[in-house]
Amino acid sequence: MLFFSFFKTLIDHEVTVELKNDIQIRGTLKSVDQYLNIKLDDISVVEELKYPHLSAVKNVFIRGSVVRYVHLPANAVDIPLLEDATRREASNNAGKAK
Amino acid sequence: MADVGDEGNAVSEPLDLVRLLLDEVVLVKLRGDRELQGRLHAYDSHCNLVLGEVEETIFVVDEEDEDEEIKTVSRKSEMLFVRGDSVVLISPQSRS
Amino acid sequence: MENLSISDAPPPPPGAGGPMMPPGVLGRPPQPQQLPAQMFTTAAQLLDLTDKKLMVALRDGRKLLGILRSWDQYANLVLQSTKERIYVPPGPKNPNPNRGLYADIERGVFLVRGENVLLLGEIDLDKDDDPPPGYDVGELKLVQSLANQRKQEEKNKEKHKVKKLSTLGFEGENLGDVMF
Repeated sequence: MLFFSFFKTLIDHEVTVELKNDIQIRGTLKSVDQYLNIKLDDISVVEELKYPHLSAVKNVFIRGSVVRYVHLPANAVDIPLLEDATRREASNNAGKAK
Repeated sequence: MADVGDEGNAVSEPLDLVRLLLDEVVLVKLRGDRELQGRLHAYDSHCNLVLGEVEETIFVVDEEDEDEEIKTVSRKSEMLFVRGDSVVLISPQSRS
Repeated sequence: MENLSISDAPPPPPGAGGPMMPPGVLGRPPQPQQLPAQMFTTAAQLLDLTDKKLMVALRDGRKLLGILRSWDQYANLVLQSTKERIYVPPGPKNPNPNRGLYADIERGVFLVRGENVLLLGEIDLDKDDDPPPGYDVGELKLVQSLANQRKQEEKNKEKHKVKKLSTLGFEGENLGDVMF
């Protein structure tokens, strides 16, 4: 649930989602769910001529499983908080595994 | 919530190693002919990651070239979420 | 669902402690969140797109245009009045090498299994009638044959690349699956 929570803190920020087929879609993060499916508003596509199918599209729902990266604005990320949350999640899971 | 006593430095399962790499520079090898070098800020049990100050290296085959040498392309990203299903390995790395 | 870490950390602004909508609308317990928790479900995301005209990109590279009539939590979809649209980007074999081509095939009703979905895009109806910038409508037969040629070339290139890069210990990203 760590990354689900993490992405919720980034709602309304500009991100660039890079898919496993190399398409890069920039837009405002509007929603995320437990599978890390992502919804972006006001999208623009890098290399639009190569990906014409997105030219009349204003917002997208991207299936989490096809995401390679999400490029994030560094100033929107509280690094100490994120690292603490990671440690907490790790120790929770360690408890569960046994 | 942690009911495990040896939470500190012990490495009893693979991802414990990754915990020790938090806030360190790591090398991540990915599917799709890519490698990343950056500071590890977060991970989970699926190997989803967040890296900061990332340098990505992509390996490409140059077709213009007669010998079809393997070239590399570099890209930078200030903060990057990496989906775990692309991750092949994570390794400690002091930046050179 | 446990409430972990990050979501707890930023103090909620005064008056925004709980969900703004009545809890349990979608059968989930409320969470301490600035925004209502039920916004963050697959169902909520797809609900907005219901009965809208969508572009659905599939894993095998196909692009479908249709109206979303039904869906479930796996993003299985039912599309009505579906058209498949084939695109050929600009290239040396096109009638005009600097222009891309596209053509439509009427398909009717489709049920798409969720795992084959790459993304869904809501179509801006104001822009729907314009061809994409740099593209013209082409004759279906021509567009199909150009698209097939293009696909074959890509496949060969990919094969070659995988072989070459395997010497470095890399393997392809979409094993057995060509994605566009």
